[in-house]
Amino acid sequence: MCDLNELWLNVLKIFPILGGEVTFPPDPIKDEVFENVYRQMSNMGIAKTITSILDMEVESAIRNVLVPKFWKHFISEGEPHKVKHDMNIAAFTDTNALFFTFIYAIDELYDAYQCLEMIKPRLFYLNQSANSTSNLNTKITLHNALLAQLPPSFNNFVCDFYCVHFRLFTKDSTLSLNTLDSEVFTELPCSGCNVDLDQCCCQKLTEMVNATNMKLLKMGLIDRLAGSALTALIKVKIKEHINDTCVGIFDRSHLKQLETWINDVVMIWLTSIFTEWKSRDDISQEKIPKSVQAFKVKLTYFMYETFAQNVISQFFSIIIDYPDSSPAIDDLKICMEKIDMRVYLTESLRSSLEARILHPGVNTMDILTGYVAAIKAIRHLDNTGVILEIVTAPIKDYLRKRTDTVRRVVTGLTEEGPTDLSEELAKGEFIKFGKDSHLNEFSDWETWEPDPFGIDPDVLKLNSSKLIRSADIISMVVDIYGSKELFMVEYRNLMADRLLSQLDFNSEKEIRNLELLKIRFGESLLHSCEVMLKDVTDSKRINSHIHGDGNCDESPLFNISSLIISAQFWPSFNKESLQLPEELENEFKKFTKAYESYKGNRTLNWRTVTGRVNIVIEIGERILEMTVPPTQAVIIYHFQHKSEWSIEELSSLIKVPPSALRRRISFWQNHGLIAEIEPGIFALLEKESEKTQFEEVSITDADEEDLESAMASASDQREEELQVFWSYIVGMLTNLDCMPIDRIHQMLKLFASHSGGVEFTQEELKHFLQRKVREHKLLFSGGVYQLAK
Amino acid sequence: MAQNISPEQSGAGGSSKHNDDSLPIKDNHAVSKRLHKELMNLMMANEKGISAFPDGENIFKWVGTIAGPINTVYSSQTYRLSLDFPNSYPYAAPVVKFLTPCFHPNVDLQGAICLDILKDKWSALYDVRTILLSIQSLLGEPNNESPLNAQAAMMWNDQNEYKKYLDAFYEKHKDT
Repeated sequence: MCDLNELWLNVLKIFPILGGEVTFPPDPIKDEVFENVYRQMSNMGIAKTITSILDMEVESAIRNVLVPKFWKHFISEGEPHKVKHDMNIAAFTDTNALFFTFIYAIDELYDAYQCLEMIKPRLFYLNQSANSTSNLNTKITLHNALLAQLPPSFNNFVCDFYCVHFRLFTKDSTLSLNTLDSEVFTELPCSGCNVDLDQCCCQKLTEMVNATNMKLLKMGLIDRLAGSALTALIKVKIKEHINDTCVGIFDRSHLKQLETWINDVVMIWLTSIFTEWKSRDDISQEKIPKSVQAFKVKLTYFMYETFAQNVISQFFSIIIDYPDSSPAIDDLKICMEKIDMRVYLTESLRSSLEARILHPGVNTMDILTGYVAAIKAIRHLDNTGVILEIVTAPIKDYLRKRTDTVRRVVTGLTEEGPTDLSEELAKGEFIKFGKDSHLNEFSDWETWEPDPFGIDPDVLKLNSSKLIRSADIISMVVDIYGSKELFMVEYRNLMADRLLSQLDFNSEKEIRNLELLKIRFGESLLHSCEVMLKDVTDSKRINSHIHGDGNCDESPLFNISSLIISAQFWPSFNKESLQLPEELENEFKKFTKAYESYKGNRTLNWRTVTGRVNIVIEIGERILEMTVPPTQAVIIYHFQHKSEWSIEELSSLIKVPPSALRRRISFWQNHGLIAEIEPGIFALLEKESEKTQFEEVSITDADEEDLESAMASASDQREEELQVFWSYIVGMLTNLDCMPIDRIHQMLKLFASHSGGVEFTQEELKHFLQRKVREHKLLFSGGVYQLAK
Repeated sequence: MAQNISPEQSGAGGSSKHNDDSLPIKDNHAVSKRLHKELMNLMMANEKGISAFPDGENIFKWVGTIAGPINTVYSSQTYRLSLDFPNSYPYAAPVVKFLTPCFHPNVDLQGAICLDILKDKWSALYDVRTILLSIQSLLGEPNNESPLNAQAAMMWNDQNEYKKYLDAFYEKHKDT
């Protein structure tokens, strides 16, 4: 019995676990005692039993004692572990409770682990003599037990720990970046441990962290426990880094620098975690382990993805900055080669364009500028034009809905503006040349490139041929409406306006523009514009002829210089009218006579509303000299004989509707010459009144007043065309009773298109007919339209 | 296209038939051009009481509508007519027929019209508009000398009786 008791005590000494103790370090045991116990045990034949008992004990100790104890640290959110450290670290502790809990827990776990590991060689020894085997594997058992009981909050601890680790690690590199103004820097807390620099405890912390990491490594737990947390942490770090270094900077490339950063900082840090701690310089020469190497591929991919997303989310700003932001686009191009971001790009860009420019608060001109910039920038990114087509489709749709788009484009084409359209126009010839070579697609098959992938093939099919996609900017802009005729009509209107309002216009520039446009759009469309310009120069000649001939009146009341236009080629005028006073009209008649004698069989129809009149007004002590539109001149003319007019009287005399007349009179009211003494009665102010301050405004006002166009606007003209169609529709419905829309459309195409040569889409027709239904002019039932009775 | 429809224009008379064959095809284009122009004028003029429009894709077949002239027994009635233009138009008159049944001394029950300008008095200066106006005035002022509908010609003198008969006639033909 004595023997047995003694033996048991010895056994307990060797395997303290049998007593339920897990302590570290285990007591040292003399070799003789070992020998003795083993021999006795093998003699008694219980070595095998003991082995299996031990196996079980170890397993249950791990499951029931070690692991729950370990996890308990992380579950109880109670007070942080008291760590016996000096003051500085204590301060640090407060902010990093998780961090220290983790370190403490790992320390404890490691001790227990080592104790268990200790048993192994002893057990092995025992088994060797007993010829039995132990299937004890502490590592695997520990892993299994740990993972089986993993609490959800654990990742936070790991994250926190490695966050500190990372900060300590990158401290040097951030320091070196910031050394430029180290004076200022000393005021700041240490970037490694967040305490004042003079109390920096980085060194201590680093040691602690590395020790803990080492323990984890030895237990083989890094991958299992910390792997996912590490990945997440690194991703966060990459994002942060990209946000810190790249946001808002488009004028230089970032990819190289990012790649270096991944290599120099992140990879070395990872290596340091997965291998033993060395100083940074040593690591860089060491071979990076395979697992880390595989990790790198993943991280680089992630880096590209994050960067590309970053760039894409700022793509609108990149577009606006375009020529300066081309390095950013180049970067994105490289990213897109590596990862498929196209769908994301198109979607994000579409939505950002919609949010930023496609709403009523933005000027049409600004939208156009954005459109042109987008074309340029996206071309740079993807020269096949597919992305461009998809992204800009909403802009085009939107611009089509704006009424002043055409006008703005034409203005952009002919005047200096933010869209650079005029510059593009000047490049015209060159581009056309390039286009021709494109036509020949088969000859340069060697440079053929497939359409970009990752785009819905249906979209591709819908899109026009490659040729159109690679059209130049002007075509893209003109393409908004799908027809260049509309643009040319608007160009003609604008030119007519310019010619009529600026009597001293720059003909050289106009002719140059016209020539450039002709190159692009062909002669036929611009023929009338040519005639218009010719009218202007002809008029000058005729004027000088009539004045110089002397067959005009010897003593004219005033000089007339006329602009004689060929009605056929000019756009139609708006329908304003103006009756000139008799004395003035006589002068015009004389001019007409002179013209008739100069050009046989022709006469002049005066358009009295349009033009400029130089007048001198003498009133009281004031003498005003100004240039005003004819209507204003006629109004003030009538006031010279009669100083009080009611608006109706004046309106019937000069044949201007009262509302328009009132607007014109307000011009003189602003100048303090006429006042409305009673509602509807206007009188001349003979004396210099208190209104003199308005004199300052004088002549510039006259121009502003007349900014309204003399031409019928494009929409008015369209309305007229629609009226033509309406008569046809009435005609066909009167005779054919009722018709479905497609038949009406077909009939119009067959019979009505001769009248104006204008296109009319079924969609447009539908809107038009629906309007007529609303106006109770048509009935719509059973899919057919008929006239309302 | 227009050549194919010529057999239908039996009413155009023998003389026009002759013209028809001798005309070169390119004149066909001229005819349709003239008809297009007439259509445009008609649409633009927007005259009250008369209207016409091509029946389908064929510009040589039109449908016309005339309102019965006011202050006659025919007022408040609307008549549909068909107009078939020969290839030799306007040198030959179009064939005009009432599609709506019309009880009138110079219109037979098949809708054929006896009107001099559609027969021997035809001139190339007439057009769709004048034809329709002539037919409209014919309704109020029938030529009882050469009636196609003898009963109507006989009844014409008593306008009240005529009106009564007319209303009964239209009541009967309402569904057609």
